[in-house]
Amino acid sequence: MRGNNFIDKALSALSKFFVKQESSIIVVTVLYMIFVTSVNPVFFSSANLFNILKNTGYSLITVVGMALVLITGGLDLSVGSVLALGGVVTGMACKAELPVAVAILLGLTTGVIVGLINGSLIVKAGIPPLIVTLGMMYVARGAVSVLTQGVPIYPLPTVFKAIDKIRIAGIPMVVIVAITITIIGYLLLSQTPFGRNIYALGGNVEAARISGINIDKTKMIVYVIASGLASLSGVFIASRLGSAEAAAGTGFEMTVICGAIIGGVSTFGGVGSVIGAAIGAFFMEVLTNSLTLMRVSVYWQNLVVGVVLVLAVLLDQYKRNVILMSSIKAKK
Amino acid sequence: MKQAEKVLSVRDVTKRFLGTVALKNVSIDLYENEILSVIGENGAGKSTLMKILSGIYPYSEYEGEILIEGERCKFQTPIDSESAGIAMIYQELNLEMDLTVAENILLGRLPLTKIGTIDWKTVRQTASEALHRLHANIDINVTVRSLSPSMQQLVCIARALVRKPKILILDEPTSVLTETETENLMEILNEFRKEKISCIYISHKLDEVFRISDRIAVLRDGELISTYTRQEGYDSRLVIEDMIGRELEVMYPKIDRVVGETILKVEHFKVPHPFAYGKNIIEDVSFELRKGEVLGLVGLVGSGRSELLNAIFGAIPKSSGKVFLNEVEVNINSPQTAKKAGFGLVTEDRKRNGFIGTMSVSHNMTLTILDFLRQFIFINKRKENHIAGEFFSKLRIKAPGLDTIITNLSGGNQQKVIIAKWLMTNLNIIFLDEPTRGIDVGTKADIYKLIHDLASKGISIIMVSSELPELLGVCDRFVVLGKGVVQAEFGREDATEITLLRAASNT
Repeated sequence: MRGNNFIDKALSALSKFFVKQESSIIVVTVLYMIFVTSVNPVFFSSANLFNILKNTGYSLITVVGMALVLITGGLDLSVGSVLALGGVVTGMACKAELPVAVAILLGLTTGVIVGLINGSLIVKAGIPPLIVTLGMMYVARGAVSVLTQGVPIYPLPTVFKAIDKIRIAGIPMVVIVAITITIIGYLLLSQTPFGRNIYALGGNVEAARISGINIDKTKMIVYVIASGLASLSGVFIASRLGSAEAAAGTGFEMTVICGAIIGGVSTFGGVGSVIGAAIGAFFMEVLTNSLTLMRVSVYWQNLVVGVVLVLAVLLDQYKRNVILMSSIKAKK
Repeated sequence: MKQAEKVLSVRDVTKRFLGTVALKNVSIDLYENEILSVIGENGAGKSTLMKILSGIYPYSEYEGEILIEGERCKFQTPIDSESAGIAMIYQELNLEMDLTVAENILLGRLPLTKIGTIDWKTVRQTASEALHRLHANIDINVTVRSLSPSMQQLVCIARALVRKPKILILDEPTSVLTETETENLMEILNEFRKEKISCIYISHKLDEVFRISDRIAVLRDGELISTYTRQEGYDSRLVIEDMIGRELEVMYPKIDRVVGETILKVEHFKVPHPFAYGKNIIEDVSFELRKGEVLGLVGLVGSGRSELLNAIFGAIPKSSGKVFLNEVEVNINSPQTAKKAGFGLVTEDRKRNGFIGTMSVSHNMTLTILDFLRQFIFINKRKENHIAGEFFSKLRIKAPGLDTIITNLSGGNQQKVIIAKWLMTNLNIIFLDEPTRGIDVGTKADIYKLIHDLASKGISIIMVSSELPELLGVCDRFVVLGKGVVQAEFGREDATEITLLRAASNT
């Protein structure tokens, strides 16, 4: 009797888990990690896992913001350029011998300002996010080129370079920050009225407006968060390299968007979670890392990432249909 | 008088949808040089019949047959219908806004030169000829977007003419036209009659129908009720009675409530037309609403009932107008401010702007009270579930649970969720725009009872509905809109379907 009860409970917990948005990506990630380990055990070495975790940190910071933007039904293509801009502004402020803290604050402020510009153009001028942020992608990258004249900004002060090297209980600073931001993002999205507004906006912007939700403000804040976090990623990357590069973060927006989508965030808006997006970002890192370890030629890697992205969405859609069908059957 | 040729025969056509019959054994003939009007209330089967004629519902999906000049037609697609000589002008003009007038007229049949490029000379010539026939002075080289709605409609008709139709079907063609523009259209249709083009004319505006038609066919609940000819003369009373018929017995709650003092005053509202740029759908409307009163807003399709409600609520912009709540002017320019003033709006189209399809039942309900549920910065989920659960059972919502995604619910239950969303707020006045559209009879009765209960508690209600019996069943007073102004006001005792429809259609 008690045994049965236990099995029942386990089964219902399991089925609840599979209904959760994040389940497919978790299962796929675990299965994939087992597969890679069987091909090359080095993958599961603590050194390599540590490496993956740290690399995930840099993109994870931005993925959280991107997830919020995508769930409102928006898009931000400018994050890669903003990453570079944040790094370069911070680097230049360091070179101008401003205190490191002030320099970082300036870098982040730049990101926030870019977000405000993106948000205003989308909200006030009514230009589609795709166009606004595509334009901003070029403008911010152009600003970086003008500021640096193409020359990397280095050497950066030792104090600044130390940020990336700090570890607390053996965990790198960037990972701590990224996880903190993920947790805050999770709480914001799933527990606060603001998060509920984000889902409402992406689900049906007109219904949200009629319900008296301030959609303009919500959109604005989301783009500010996305850009602000992208510039924070930029600060960490500049600190790691010890130099602020004009080409930093090229193509980064796509990696970030891929991560969020693989993690179950819908590009139509209204659906997704920060935890899912975070796991998606982790999976992206596992994928690139493992391809190198399995000696897949660099030339093949983009192709694989593309296929995986489409497969992930396909799997997600299939799962959703199965759930829908079973709920219809249950009704009958 | 010689016997006119039959151009089109509809014989014993029956069309079923899941569970309901939209058309029952309908037989109608259309003769050469004739303008036939098909009229009926919403849901009478007019659009179903037109969709069969235009090939949107393919041959295999209905019973009965369609004959054109004696030949049996089996339309699989709208293209088949078009090549058989039927041209359809839809209410929503389906033009390509950024193409030129000439391109739009010839769209889908652009003439080609020998080497396969577009023969622009012929395009322009054909387009000009078609517009000339309509006496339309329109530059064929400008984009359609730059034209007024009435000009756009002429372009639509020109496009139909190029296809050399035998039969022209017009669905509510005058809803965006002014009176002189309507006059012009009538003349054009009269000329078509001489050119051996037969017309089927669908309209809610009885005065137009009486003027233009050689014959009128009345549909009700999917059946052909009667036909009238011009020779016999038209009697608006008889026609309206045929349209309405005997209604299904629906249980309306007995109205025994007491109406209080004036709570809302709407003064000189002017609202721009939603898709006719530069025109007003509401010209000058003022009315009052009392505490605990259910006010019915009556009007034909296109009379601006919904637009008026939406503008008062701040969901769409108004040109001018004032709103007084308890004698104090309130400035409402967005749904947010409307909510603060204690207003609620249940919109006409649930799916478009009523509920959020990705969200659960409870999340949809609490959208309006998130600030109230805020504790520190988080949503107090226990409180949320408690409140949502309370309304869930109070409104007898049928769903597996509060966490069910709202799209899995039936239309009636979705509507209850949307109403609950407003009942949770500090509600003074609620606007109900077609609250029972697409809802089963049982749930309808629930909603009527709910309206009565709310009014008894002192909540004031403005209701819009295309179903007059329902308005007569639940409302205390009626304001009839037409041509952008208030046409008439009736108390409960003076209002009948006939008086309301007559006032609304100006006949």
